[in-house]
Amino acid sequence: MKTVMINASPKKKMSVSSYFLFLQRLFVGGKVIKEKLRNKGDHKRLLETVSEADSIVFCLPLYVDGVPSHVLMFLKELEQYCRENSLDLNVYVISNGGFIEGNQNRVLMQVFENFCNRSGINWCGGIGIGGGVMLNVMRIMFFIYFGIFLLNIISGSSLQDALIYLAKQWGIILFFNIGVLFYNIGMGTAISRGRRFGVKFTRAMMPSFLFIIVADIFFILISIFKGGIFRGWLKGSSKKSL
Amino acid sequence: MRVIVHDLGEQYNALLKNKCDELICADGKYAPCQGCFGCWTKTPEKCFIKDMLREACRVIGNADELILITQNCYGAYSPAVKNILDRSIGLSTPLSTYRAKQMHHTLRYGKHELLSVIAYGDITEAEKATFELMVQRNAVNFGFIKSKFHWSDDIEKLEEIL
Repeated sequence: MKTVMINASPKKKMSVSSYFLFLQRLFVGGKVIKEKLRNKGDHKRLLETVSEADSIVFCLPLYVDGVPSHVLMFLKELEQYCRENSLDLNVYVISNGGFIEGNQNRVLMQVFENFCNRSGINWCGGIGIGGGVMLNVMRIMFFIYFGIFLLNIISGSSLQDALIYLAKQWGIILFFNIGVLFYNIGMGTAISRGRRFGVKFTRAMMPSFLFIIVADIFFILISIFKGGIFRGWLKGSSKKSL
Repeated sequence: MRVIVHDLGEQYNALLKNKCDELICADGKYAPCQGCFGCWTKTPEKCFIKDMLREACRVIGNADELILITQNCYGAYSPAVKNILDRSIGLSTPLSTYRAKQMHHTLRYGKHELLSVIAYGDITEAEKATFELMVQRNAVNFGFIKSKFHWSDDIEKLEEIL
């Protein structure tokens, strides 16, 4: 089996999609090629890569309840390419939204299903993730706790104590990811065996009211740091033309 | 204010201009959103990309009635129209609230009256269902009180629909 995993985030680095693609990669067997779809310049290379694959996994952000425009543009080209070359492909999708409810990705999944039907390729389902940004930010914590673990050892605490501390902290972070990991394992198995997975929704493991507070604090801090908070942060001006 | 966004080409500008206060022709001559959140956290209401959509959120955000005329693309907007919506998220603020029992961003310009979407081009039943669901969701997301979805197999009948 040859699988192409496409990170379709427009961001150059540290994108949420790259994190979820990394997690999904852990559970996919056979040959895997990692690719990026950031702009039109990637289309030709991607079509060539996809033409030799058995499966594609798209990992992308949710933009305004749907597929980001630069991805829609690629799908139109891919549809034509699939039909001209009668490709037989299995398509899987991992989408992530900033809002906490995973099922806010429902429309995006339907759009991909409609795309597969038009292209004559096999829609195999996907994972819609809510609160993806938070899980991505938390990945930094894995490294921070590992750093503290090393410091503990250097400063003379026993290896056993340091390991227990590390396991505890990593365990807490993993807990927030548990829904995603559960479906990653299921979908990884489906991809490796060329089977249908179905559409599943999951989220960062946190109640929504708490998530909203965390998200608000996050944006307040970022806006102070970037300065937007001092430039009419929540105000709307009345200029009404382009 | 009534705003129309369309991807029909420049030849329709004259006809549509009479039907609204502000017209945006989705000709695709602009960049897609880069997902940086700068229009929330760095320069509110402004995109860092200096093209015609730099302050698009002000037009969309100040619309009482927004009409989107778009070719069907798998039950979604055409890339050129979707690009404009993606670049308009500055119409909300970075803070969050509940709307229709789900998490959404608070609205920078308050509530709007009506979101109408007119899709044209070949469409399947499944795509129609997807489109209807998406328009309802977009209306909640962008703070429109009512939403309507039309599909037309003949864009020449556009004037009747408008």
